Amino acid sequence: MKIVKYLSLVMLFLVAGMTYAQEDSTETRKPGHTNNNRFKQLYEEFSTPNMFRTASGAPGPQYYQQQADYVINVNLDDKNKKLSGSETITYTNNSPDVLEYLWVQLDQNVRAKDSKTPLIESSGATPADMAGSFVNTYMGNPYDGGFKIMEVKGPKGNPLPYTINQTMMRVEMPKKLQPSEKFIFSIKWWYNINNHVTDRARSGYEEFEDGNRGYVIAQFYPRMAVYNDVEGWQNSQFWGRDEFALPFGNFDVSITVPSDHILDATGVLQNRKDIYSKEMMDRYEQAKKSYDKPVIIVTQQEAEAASKGFSNNTRTWKFKAEMVRDYAFATSRRYIWDMMAVKIGDRDVMAVSLYPPEGNPLWEDYSTRLVASTLKSYSRMTFDYPYNKAISVNAKNQGMEYPMICWNYGRPDKDGTYSERTKYGMFGVIIHEVGHNYFPMIVNSDERQWTWMDEGINTFVQYVAEQDFGKTYPAAIAPNETYPSRRGPAKNIVNYMSGDQDQMAPIMTKGLNTYNFGSNAYAKPATGLNILRETIMGRDLFDYAFKTYAQRWMFKHPTPEDFFRTMEDASAVDLDWFWREWFYSTDYVDIGVKEVKTFYVTSKMSSQVRDMMEKRGMKESDLPPLVYMVEEGSEDFDESMKNSTLNDVTTLQEYIMDNMTPEERAALKSPKYFYEVTFEKPGGIPMPIIAEYTYSDGTTERVTYPPQIWRKNDTSVGKVIASDKEITKIMVDPDEETADIDTSNNSWPQRKKLGEFTKFKQDTEQD
Amino acid sequence: MKFLKVALLFLLFPLLTGSTSAHKFYVSTTDIEYVAEKESLQIITKIFIDDIEQELRKRYDPSISLASKKETKADAELLKKNILQKLNISVNGKPVKMNYLGKEYDIETVKVYIEIEEVNSLNSIEVENKILMDIFPEQQNIIHLKTSSRRKSLILDIDNPKGLLKFN
Repeated sequence: MKIVKYLSLVMLFLVAGMTYAQEDSTETRKPGHTNNNRFKQLYEEFSTPNMFRTASGAPGPQYYQQQADYVINVNLDDKNKKLSGSETITYTNNSPDVLEYLWVQLDQNVRAKDSKTPLIESSGATPADMAGSFVNTYMGNPYDGGFKIMEVKGPKGNPLPYTINQTMMRVEMPKKLQPSEKFIFSIKWWYNINNHVTDRARSGYEEFEDGNRGYVIAQFYPRMAVYNDVEGWQNSQFWGRDEFALPFGNFDVSITVPSDHILDATGVLQNRKDIYSKEMMDRYEQAKKSYDKPVIIVTQQEAEAASKGFSNNTRTWKFKAEMVRDYAFATSRRYIWDMMAVKIGDRDVMAVSLYPPEGNPLWEDYSTRLVASTLKSYSRMTFDYPYNKAISVNAKNQGMEYPMICWNYGRPDKDGTYSERTKYGMFGVIIHEVGHNYFPMIVNSDERQWTWMDEGINTFVQYVAEQDFGKTYPAAIAPNETYPSRRGPAKNIVNYMSGDQDQMAPIMTKGLNTYNFGSNAYAKPATGLNILRETIMGRDLFDYAFKTYAQRWMFKHPTPEDFFRTMEDASAVDLDWFWREWFYSTDYVDIGVKEVKTFYVTSKMSSQVRDMMEKRGMKESDLPPLVYMVEEGSEDFDESMKNSTLNDVTTLQEYIMDNMTPEERAALKSPKYFYEVTFEKPGGIPMPIIAEYTYSDGTTERVTYPPQIWRKNDTSVGKVIASDKEITKIMVDPDEETADIDTSNNSWPQRKKLGEFTKFKQDTEQD
Repeated sequence: MKFLKVALLFLLFPLLTGSTSAHKFYVSTTDIEYVAEKESLQIITKIFIDDIEQELRKRYDPSISLASKKETKADAELLKKNILQKLNISVNGKPVKMNYLGKEYDIETVKVYIEIEEVNSLNSIEVENKILMDIFPEQQNIIHLKTSSRRKSLILDIDNPKGLLKFN
């Protein structure tokens, strides 16, 4: 009998479903579709794993990378602002392929007279212009930038044929380069060093008021392009916007500059005894043992005295650097130099700063400390910093990174005071640029193709490092209690993501072609990673997976897929939906509470069920004892139901008495309130539903429904809640963790928030 | 389905890192909301402090300082003067009076609040926004107009500094 009754029950509700289907069949039939579920795995977007890069996101058994070693000699002619040099490149072909030619990058050519870079930018006529700019733009001869290649010679000194296509030079070898073979060739060149302030460039010089110059020199030598299993030769032109792809190698560099210059560069200084005065050596030895504050190697007084020298003599600084992907140096008469030791793992690393007097007092107070703090934070998140030092150089309007050395802006006003804006700008840029030592200098992704892989990932760790810095130096961020990071917290990306879709590109877009470069490649990926860390995966799972990625790919060349695969592989959190939505699309998050229905429980059959039974000619005796849910306000609802409890529901009580022991009965919960909550998702991106329920006694409870709740119902989903306390408020995402672009639908009952404008008007009227 | 999009607020980080100095972008956003019950147009314009400070220094006085303890009343007045000079709005074909309510500084931007009152209906609005275009020819001023039922946007630049939006 029981079984028959259960079957009848199933029939009742099953048939009800089928009836609905029949009613729909009179409409036109929709066409079929492919799998467009948001939780679909990324098989179609990802390349098939192979022997070079595994499905788990790690380097495969046949993974290879090329090596380019350099011996470079350069001479900086301060008077004429020229740099001339010669280099010998040893290129090792570790690939299984036979190489027919080599590609060498000539970045300075972006500034050549015939450069096409200005031609690809849209411009308009200005009603007024500064006289100097006008002359430069319309009257002067084009700036004579770009590499002047004097010679390209093969291993035996024979000239090699070469072809220059804008910023890329193809060098023909006497014979093809076989796997495992090395090719040695040399280049002689010179170029006019540009003014990086008026030119808005990543390297060059700035002019100080006393006639001296500060040189921040990079991209100063012809350097090898990357050859790999993903792109072949990465010889995509340098148009000026997206950055660099470079192979690793060992550098042996000699730099000749005026003898009264102070210089620092990538690598270990080989001839310190020739360069340092006795005074400097003593201070340096002190700095090596100073872990809590910087020691000044060249003081402001000394720098100011040296500035008057304008020596005609020169001296040569010699450096060696191993396993770096690039080389850069900074040199000037006006530099103050300070250093501090940092313990990283079981090694000591030097944190160094170079800055003119214009940077003080801000730079003496903070720069080296920021470098040290950043190294510690990044080491904790990824791996111990493997190089011997990290340098922060103060250069006007700069923010750029090279191995072990970076340029950073941030100067006080002439009277030594500085605004909060200047201070936090300087803090942020130093942390960010020093952080770049990790991404892309060591985890060497292809910036030319994927700006976000270094900028976005770096900006995310920068946020962590900023928060650390604020905790270590509370006085530096006072009166703020936590560091006021701009990028990182989910709600800070809402403005960008809720904006005009025509002005948006997905993160997985080549940097050259995006709008809103900063938001697209820096802030949005950084925020996405932060959301994974704080909300989707949690810190433990995220940190472990992130570290796994960094350690798998340190001193190697990862692609976006390697990152995406590793994060899942190491955590067992399915993230394909997140990568697709956050990285491959311009979708946004908007989740809210659509409605809440209250239900009461009775043993009296509701009219809805009665109707269903009548349609099928069933009697109440055909069914097993049922418990009915009656919606408040429906025709079966009775005010008296509000006062009843489950004890009044006879069918329920009978069942409990018949089937449970006194101990089991005592352990039962007794919910009094039943709600059907419908959550809606007007936005595309699925996110966990973080629901905070507030009860009539003032207490709250948080329930997080995983994002998979949306897998079958993309736009709305219901949850039935049984509670022994009355729910007075439901709030979705109370801590603003999901980058929800519209919070007006996030609370039930709906609340009207005072608009920004009205609030400002009220506040000012009160003054 | 409700599809309330929040007005585009530009994420501001021109000077942060990795070649930003070489690729600073020049944009401002102006949100105009028509509140029919109050018969007013509520305007909030967001501009990068660095840019507008540079403009005021070039135009008026190199010692002008904004958003710091050194800002004087005169500096604030010049900011107001410059904004009102460069932002011109006509409602329903007629020029209107703009009430400059004040400004607020965030870390990198300044938000300027302006109100246009006595707008009992909105058939059309013409916005000319030339803020910062004389000093930065690549400046783009984005305008978002929001009523209770519609959202429309304009991007104004040096070639097209003026745009007309109709609501019928």
